[in-house]
Amino acid sequence: MAAPVQRRNLVGEAVLLTVICLFCVFPFYWMVTTSLKTQVVALQSPPVWVFTPTLANYWEVLFVDKVGPALVNSIIVAVCTTGLAVLLGTPAAYALARFEFRGKTDLWFWFITNRFVSPVVLAFPVFLISRELGLRDTHLALILMYLTFTLPIVIWICTDQFRSIPRELDEAALLEGASQFRIFRSICLPLAMPGVAVSAILSFIFSWNELLFAYILAPKNAKTAPAMAVTFMEGYDVPYGKIMATSTLIVVPVLIFALLASKHLVRGLTMGAVK
Amino acid sequence: MTTRVRRRTIAAFLGPAVAALALVGIAPLLYAVWKSLHYFNLTKLAQERYVGLDNYAAVLTDAVFWQAMGRTATLFAIAVPVQIALGLTIALVLHRPGLTFWKTLTRLSLVLPMATTYAVVGLLAQVMLNQKYGVFNQMLGWVGIDAINFIGDPTNAFIAVILWDIWQWTPFVALVLLAGLSTVPPEIEEAATLETRSNWTVLRFVQLPYLVPSLVAVLILRTADTLKLFDMPFTMTRGGPGAATEFIAVLIERVGNRQFDIGMAAAQSIIMLALTIVLARLYIRLFYREVR
Amino acid sequence: MKLLTHASALALVASAGLGLAGKAQAWSLEEAAKPYAGTELEVLFLDRPGYAAAIKMLPEFEAATGIKVNHTTVPYENALGEQVRDFVAGGDLDIALIDLVWIGNFAENGWIEPIETFTANADLADPDLDMADFFPLVVNAFGGWNGTIYGLPFDNYSGLMFYNSCMLKDAGFDKPPETWADLKDVYGPALTKDGKYAFALQSKRNETQSADSFARMLWPFGGSFLNAEFKSNLMSPESQAGLTFRQDLMQYMPEGIVAYDHSETVNALAQGDVAMITEWSAFYSTLASPETSKLGDCLAVAPEPMGPAGRKPALGGFSLAVATQADDAEKAAGWLFIQWVTSKANAGKYLELGGVPARQSAYADPALAATYKFIPALVESWKDGVPEFRPRFAEWPAITEIVQEWGTKMMLGEVSVEEGAKTIGEKMEAVLAEAGYYDGKKPLAQ
Repeated sequence: MAAPVQRRNLVGEAVLLTVICLFCVFPFYWMVTTSLKTQVVALQSPPVWVFTPTLANYWEVLFVDKVGPALVNSIIVAVCTTGLAVLLGTPAAYALARFEFRGKTDLWFWFITNRFVSPVVLAFPVFLISRELGLRDTHLALILMYLTFTLPIVIWICTDQFRSIPRELDEAALLEGASQFRIFRSICLPLAMPGVAVSAILSFIFSWNELLFAYILAPKNAKTAPAMAVTFMEGYDVPYGKIMATSTLIVVPVLIFALLASKHLVRGLTMGAVK
Repeated sequence: MTTRVRRRTIAAFLGPAVAALALVGIAPLLYAVWKSLHYFNLTKLAQERYVGLDNYAAVLTDAVFWQAMGRTATLFAIAVPVQIALGLTIALVLHRPGLTFWKTLTRLSLVLPMATTYAVVGLLAQVMLNQKYGVFNQMLGWVGIDAINFIGDPTNAFIAVILWDIWQWTPFVALVLLAGLSTVPPEIEEAATLETRSNWTVLRFVQLPYLVPSLVAVLILRTADTLKLFDMPFTMTRGGPGAATEFIAVLIERVGNRQFDIGMAAAQSIIMLALTIVLARLYIRLFYREVR
Repeated sequence: MKLLTHASALALVASAGLGLAGKAQAWSLEEAAKPYAGTELEVLFLDRPGYAAAIKMLPEFEAATGIKVNHTTVPYENALGEQVRDFVAGGDLDIALIDLVWIGNFAENGWIEPIETFTANADLADPDLDMADFFPLVVNAFGGWNGTIYGLPFDNYSGLMFYNSCMLKDAGFDKPPETWADLKDVYGPALTKDGKYAFALQSKRNETQSADSFARMLWPFGGSFLNAEFKSNLMSPESQAGLTFRQDLMQYMPEGIVAYDHSETVNALAQGDVAMITEWSAFYSTLASPETSKLGDCLAVAPEPMGPAGRKPALGGFSLAVATQADDAEKAAGWLFIQWVTSKANAGKYLELGGVPARQSAYADPALAATYKFIPALVESWKDGVPEFRPRFAEWPAITEIVQEWGTKMMLGEVSVEEGAKTIGEKMEAVLAEAGYYDGKKPLAQ
């Protein structure tokens, strides 16, 4: 095997990899550097690469433009919906992996199909319903609506995970008289933790990134960070520095999470289609 | 063997999830269907009335709706093949042995674009593609190309959305295909590389069969996400200039949120949803492993 | 002596009158607000100079009254939607921010209180309110609907021509064009060169397209959206002339003008890339400030050019009105705020901080006109303004969408002027038919 490796042009390959890395990373570099520019510097033509950085944009968006509370809202919503999705989703996943019952395939189809439904389909009816129920502009409304995509993720990934746990473990416990719930809770769930963690991280990322529900359902008190970022778009002057500072604040947490889960990200995103 | 359990146990495990998803997924849908049969405008609530299938008839004969559908299809037809071609190239490079550190680093940086908040991706595009202050045009200038008005010209704006979609999703495609490549048994691959020097032959006859599930997954997910595409064009161009980047989800948002015609928006959504479900079921039935 | 007696009798009467008025004289904001101290008001603001000015004035109001004004800044594009959804949902907005074209909609839905509710209440009404001091055109257009006044004009605009007098001088012009025809035929060719353009007309596909671009070219040429029977008037020779003119004028505008919103257009003038723009008066402070503009002394202001039908400059602006969904304390507090921020007494300060008040008295001072170059042009424009510059009825949100879509298509050359106008007309009439204007269910408002 050593021979073909040597024959190859390693230099060319390294250059290609560098280009790919730059391609992926450059927009982030530009986002962060722009966020450190004053408005005057940000609006220089052609753009400048070397300048004296300032944190003024961050100070301003966090404390004057209320991006700080929006980030807190985003955290509350993403954490709660993730927790709820795991709480509801893992037992369901266990049942799909272990039990036999009529309509199982259809049920499974239905769970999966939710991944394909556009939020725009649900957003307006939910707005009307939330108005009736007094849930408008509450965290709860967003937490519940985000279940439409977090729950399928958890169910799908965890079903896969539970199936990979040997059945013999369950059966042994069953013979000893343990209830199904105990088996799930004490034997299978701990073993399925890697899958649960991945699905939780993905749920968090998806919830954190969501815009449309937040934009329509939470205009003020529960406004999340992406919805906040949208409000900077059309002022009298376009504050590039502030927009990019907000963007950086929004993106950095998800990127950290994504890197943490990078090994499993692909499997999660493809809902198990690819091992 | 499958464990035999009582119905009540099954219900206890599945019930909460099913109930929750029915509550947030199905109930609003039924409500939307009901509203789609009405003239229902938020600014004219007094005039609400049952109109039967009028909204559907209006949508189906509305050129604007079909143009938005067409745009969405065009985006898919252009962006996805490019993403697959580039993604496959990247995956093949990463799949080769050697340069381990570089490759780990590349794999990690590939994770970044697809995790980025879509709304932010659009804002980034606004900043980077600006005709005057944008760094992208500066770079074009370095290679002697005049600044391009990406956001202001209909064709260019559409191209810009495609480019940006390619930026965000090529890494995803690459990683999915890389995962697919890792399912090729190493012995077979090694044997094949000893037989032929042509990388193409290896790809075509050895690796490709193993890549089919990944390619299918890419197609399914890209279809779903293209139909859903809202955040990025919304923050980048707001569907403009004119209607150049008004994709289907952007159109529905405009009808519901700006014309306040919730009945019409509901009808559009239901039609889109029907299309989505047909496509999703088709894909899933054809390619996903079923629960056994 | 007799005369003196008369005079003293007069004085007596006068002082008696004063005595009667004494109760009213004692009216003070502090007193009036006492029962409402601690009330919190919710209102949407925009990211525009008039709001920045109001925000700077707020601490004074809050200190005097103990009423807290919570303002949320939204982009103009979201402002209507956010408010409609809030009012429909019975949300927590206490004050409505109303663009003049939304007033019919808000009033007909019963979302806003007529000011009479408050002006009739001696505890709340400032005796110095002086409605007659507002420019009549402005108060009727921005705050009135079917003869009832709902809102007081707050953020007020007239279309003005801002231009770079240095660029004009270099091209041999010592004054701005008097007419639209001159702008196109004389100034256009002379000023469009070396990557600079003579003119920029903000035409982005949103309210900007219909208000700033489409309507601006209809009126001076004698065109209009609707005729007396409320049918489309867009196919009339006058309307067609105006829209065709806009198409011809595009050769002297920067590329991609359909992506230009206010910020791009103002910036193009501020950076010296275009010589002339027609923009809202509110942009004066942006263009005059060295932080946002390179123009300096080159900035000059004139009324909009005239067309065959006269000046007919663009008219736009916002009023503030009390929302019906607020509770009684919030309504009273909301009224006190609206009355205060638009008051005669505060007009000078509002102007100084970058706002454009609608108070005639504020502009009477010649010293002010010297400081703020836009004042003479503004006052002149508000005399010639067309209140129905854009039809202000409840159907406008639906119609503006149609105009935005097809108006942009026209500019992009995707449809001809004639085809576009015809389509807009048909769709507009369909909306009006739906609303019941043609079968007598609704009076032909305006």
